[in-house]
Amino acid sequence: MLSFIIRRLGASILVVFVASFVIYNLAAIAGDPLGDLRGSTAPNKAALIAARVEALDLNVPPPLRFFIWLSGILRGFIGQFTLGDSVNGHSVIQLLNSSVSNTIQLVTASTLLAVIFGVAIGMSTALRQYSGYDYTVTFLSFLFFSLPAFWVAVLLKLYVAIGFNNFLASPVIGPIAIVVISLVSGFVWMSIIGGEGKPRLIVFGSATVITAAILLFFQVTNWFTTPFLGPGLVLVLGALTAIMVTSLTTGLSNRRALYASLIMVALAGAIWYPLQFVFTVAMPIGVLFAFVAVMIGLGLLAGLLLGKDDRWPSARAAAITAFLVSLLVIVDRLMQSWPDYVNAVGGRPIATVGANTPDLAGSIWFTSLDTYTHLLLPTISLILISLAGYTRYARASLLEVMNQDYVRTARAKGLTERTVVMRHAFRNAMIPVITVVAFDVGGLIGGAVITETIFAWRGMGALFTAALHDPLDLNVIMGVFLIVGVVAIVFNILADIAYTALDPRIRVN
Amino acid sequence: MKIKRIAAVAAVVGVAALVLSGCAVPRQSEVITGSKISVAWNDPMQEYNTLSATGNAAANNNVSYLANSSFNYYDDSQKLVKNTQFGTYTVEKQNPLTIKYTVNEGVKWSDGVQVGAADMLLTWAALTTHLNNVEAKYDADGNITNQAELDAGVFFNAGAVKGQGLDLVSKTPVISDNNRSVTIVYDKPFVDWELSFPIGVSAHGTVQLAYPGKKYTGDAANAAIIKAIQTKDYGFLSPVAKSWTNDYKMLDMPTEKQKLLSDGPYVVTDLKDQQYVTLTARKDFTWGPSPKYQTITIRVIGDPQAQITALQNGEVKIAEGQPTADLLTQIKGLSGVNYKAATESTYEHIDLQVTNGGPFDPKTYGGDAAKAQLVRDAFLKTVPRQDIVDKLIKPLQPDAVLRASLQFVPGTPGYDAVQKAGAYAAYDKVDIAGAKAELAQAGVKNVKVRFLYGKTNTRRQQEYELVRQSAALAGITVIDGGSETWGQDLSAKPNSYDAALFGWQATSLAISQNQANYTPGGLNNYYGWDNAELTALYNSLSTETNTAKQDALLVQADQIIGKQAWTVPIFQFPGVTAWSTSVTGVKPAFLAPQYFWNFWDWAPTKK
Repeated sequence: MLSFIIRRLGASILVVFVASFVIYNLAAIAGDPLGDLRGSTAPNKAALIAARVEALDLNVPPPLRFFIWLSGILRGFIGQFTLGDSVNGHSVIQLLNSSVSNTIQLVTASTLLAVIFGVAIGMSTALRQYSGYDYTVTFLSFLFFSLPAFWVAVLLKLYVAIGFNNFLASPVIGPIAIVVISLVSGFVWMSIIGGEGKPRLIVFGSATVITAAILLFFQVTNWFTTPFLGPGLVLVLGALTAIMVTSLTTGLSNRRALYASLIMVALAGAIWYPLQFVFTVAMPIGVLFAFVAVMIGLGLLAGLLLGKDDRWPSARAAAITAFLVSLLVIVDRLMQSWPDYVNAVGGRPIATVGANTPDLAGSIWFTSLDTYTHLLLPTISLILISLAGYTRYARASLLEVMNQDYVRTARAKGLTERTVVMRHAFRNAMIPVITVVAFDVGGLIGGAVITETIFAWRGMGALFTAALHDPLDLNVIMGVFLIVGVVAIVFNILADIAYTALDPRIRVN
Repeated sequence: MKIKRIAAVAAVVGVAALVLSGCAVPRQSEVITGSKISVAWNDPMQEYNTLSATGNAAANNNVSYLANSSFNYYDDSQKLVKNTQFGTYTVEKQNPLTIKYTVNEGVKWSDGVQVGAADMLLTWAALTTHLNNVEAKYDADGNITNQAELDAGVFFNAGAVKGQGLDLVSKTPVISDNNRSVTIVYDKPFVDWELSFPIGVSAHGTVQLAYPGKKYTGDAANAAIIKAIQTKDYGFLSPVAKSWTNDYKMLDMPTEKQKLLSDGPYVVTDLKDQQYVTLTARKDFTWGPSPKYQTITIRVIGDPQAQITALQNGEVKIAEGQPTADLLTQIKGLSGVNYKAATESTYEHIDLQVTNGGPFDPKTYGGDAAKAQLVRDAFLKTVPRQDIVDKLIKPLQPDAVLRASLQFVPGTPGYDAVQKAGAYAAYDKVDIAGAKAELAQAGVKNVKVRFLYGKTNTRRQQEYELVRQSAALAGITVIDGGSETWGQDLSAKPNSYDAALFGWQATSLAISQNQANYTPGGLNNYYGWDNAELTALYNSLSTETNTAKQDALLVQADQIIGKQAWTVPIFQFPGVTAWSTSVTGVKPAFLAPQYFWNFWDWAPTKK
């Protein structure tokens, strides 16, 4: 394994070196580092040009200037690492610092969510191949796949941000709207779940009624202006989570796992009230992590105590449930701060630009909500596009695996369908998906250029496009390129290593 | 006895107070507590020192304009307004041109130190070459050979040019009035003296940044820098120059408060990762119109479309940018939003090469200057200027018009005079017949014009196509010379093109800046334009301080250039400023700092 990594790294350094030389020269040809000064009528134009030529060594031809740039990197060995200066005289490292953190903030959530939902939806469509649900998802994923990012972004801004903010001013859903939304929702659920005749009608009817009930509940409790879960909804949603998690991990037939999970839900409901005194406005963020960790620990404990012969699966189910339920409790606490937050930002919470509201000071609940309202739109637009791809990959790959001999063998052994899918097929089906994810992450760190531009997010993409415009900022371009290149390589190595973990037949050596 | 004494004391105190306050009426701040406004700009602030070679960018200038007061500023009709509450400047003598600048008592930096002579002295030192004692030297490979010397020497990186602008003040300015005044003497008369001597960053702050170990107080730092400049103490000035050049660069809120000292209505209180900069009103500000908003936040939003949606969503109150046709339609459809076309400072024009052996060069016709001029005139007559404006600019700015002058910016009295004189009126309408007649008169056939423009710019591609089609009607062949490196080609390859289409950015109203475009040897004269009458006119202009006479001379200059058929202006770059109806007092202006120019008038709409 170690020799594999060293060999790969060695080869990668060579690749980065050659690629950066090529990019450096191509980029140098592509633009004019003095472009903005050419059209200037300033009396001291010549002096300004001379100052920039001196600062950036522009009198050295690019193929040689590359080595000046390279020497800055090599000087890292004597502690003087530098990636040069930008046209404005800023150190590229500083510029990258702020941009990288902004980009990571932007793409982390969307990547994680896209992978989780993409794989889940893809796999479920594979298991219900050629059903109404499958066709619907296929249709939607092709639709999203072909949508241009900037268009999605503009639509999101108009409807999710401006439209929703306008709605919040007087959050009343008219009776006609309730009827229409409920019917549409009923239809969607019916086509997703499928079935024939009577069951189909039952699904349609119950989905319609449930939707209408939820909307009425929102309406009556003024939920949009003062959202809440409260201990009641935490218990209800928690119980649903517990059932879902158990059925996926151990199967509902494993009653001990189910009970362990449900105990965690009950615990969360029980400590909801005292927790409100812990989750104060002055609470440091560490307490939050501690709370989640303790809940997971208690989940493990509950599983181990109740599990008897089959301890670890129960512990796992209870721990996952505990994690999700503690998230519910945190969401509930965030919701309590929502009315104040909306008030603080002038009644228009969902933002269309930037990473946070300028000068908004407050508790972690406030700042978390602020990050959420700013991340919401760019994250949705990034997810919509990458989700489609992941769905297709996961579906195709699971379908292929499900037709393999070892799956048939597993079924012949008499294993339950859940075990066959979750334990035998899932892992192997993940291999192609991992490859795609690794590539995507490398690309995303380089900046979701369009998304960053439209949502005024000062990340790597914004930095890169600004550097390409007049004047050409070669050192900045190279800085971005270097980071993207290195991240891409690292993630590819990680993907290779992940293969061995997923499929024991693969050896990296 | 006792009463007399008290009365005497009271009288003395009263008189002293009157004298100290400069007989000014006490002023009060009109800042509305808790009021906030967010506005959008397309670039982040990256440097607070706007006088350095790297810091002179619009985004930096805007912040500096909000945070700093000055002796004068431009209003929205391009008139220079004096701010006498900040300080005064008077011409003491015309020959040699001697000007005394005095900052009023009580005008203070945000750390409480009086603004004064030390600050002006530092700016003089930084903006001239007189104290820069080193220049970089290079070996054959372009490496700096005198790095050690550079490190030890004094170098203010301000792009100062020997013998130009403020550099004409070669004698160290004289200090008076208890360190509040300086008097500067120009060696030669200089026409733009009123625009050439700003206050700049604080002197004591820069010294404190340069010598963090010495713990200078504000006054001690000022005394030290005054002494160092007067005695040319290069050893002391070297770190100061480095601080002046480098320390005001910032991407995030700096920890040293000296880096953001302000002498105006606002002070920067937050700067975040190139996302926004927040300025808060100073409580002690009395030397100028009082602003109404307590905080102004400038948010960085590059995409004009995103600016407009943010405006619609109430995240910003003022948006500004280059519009597209779709964007304009969108703005028109918004309720609660005002907008106004606010052209940008760049203007498009076509220049003709006259010394490259091409169709516009007399040499081509055996030195027959008249013939070459006829050919130039014929070509410019075919340029469909109005068509370009109608087809390419009006969709973005419905009230767009042809630019009528090269010397004046639209909206100034001089501009109207040039328009009246019709310096370029001959080219307002396409005159194919006239062009043909002139070509016939010159006896020139098969004119081929190589046309240089920025190839990656779609609008310029379309302009080229319009010019080509129109010129073809008169029998002139326009050859596509579109190039990605047009900026370099302009000066480096004058033989590769006969006509060039691009934009000049005229960001100031300085009169002397046009000389470089139209006199032989001028920095921006890539074309060999040379007219004795024009050169003489510019020379007399540089010593003319009477504004009316200046204008008259410039009108003449435009007329001469028009007659030479060297170049023709086309249009001002379109721009649009849109603002929410919840803010009043926004007045888009044409010159930098554009819509910021009257920020003190911005106020929340009364409900």
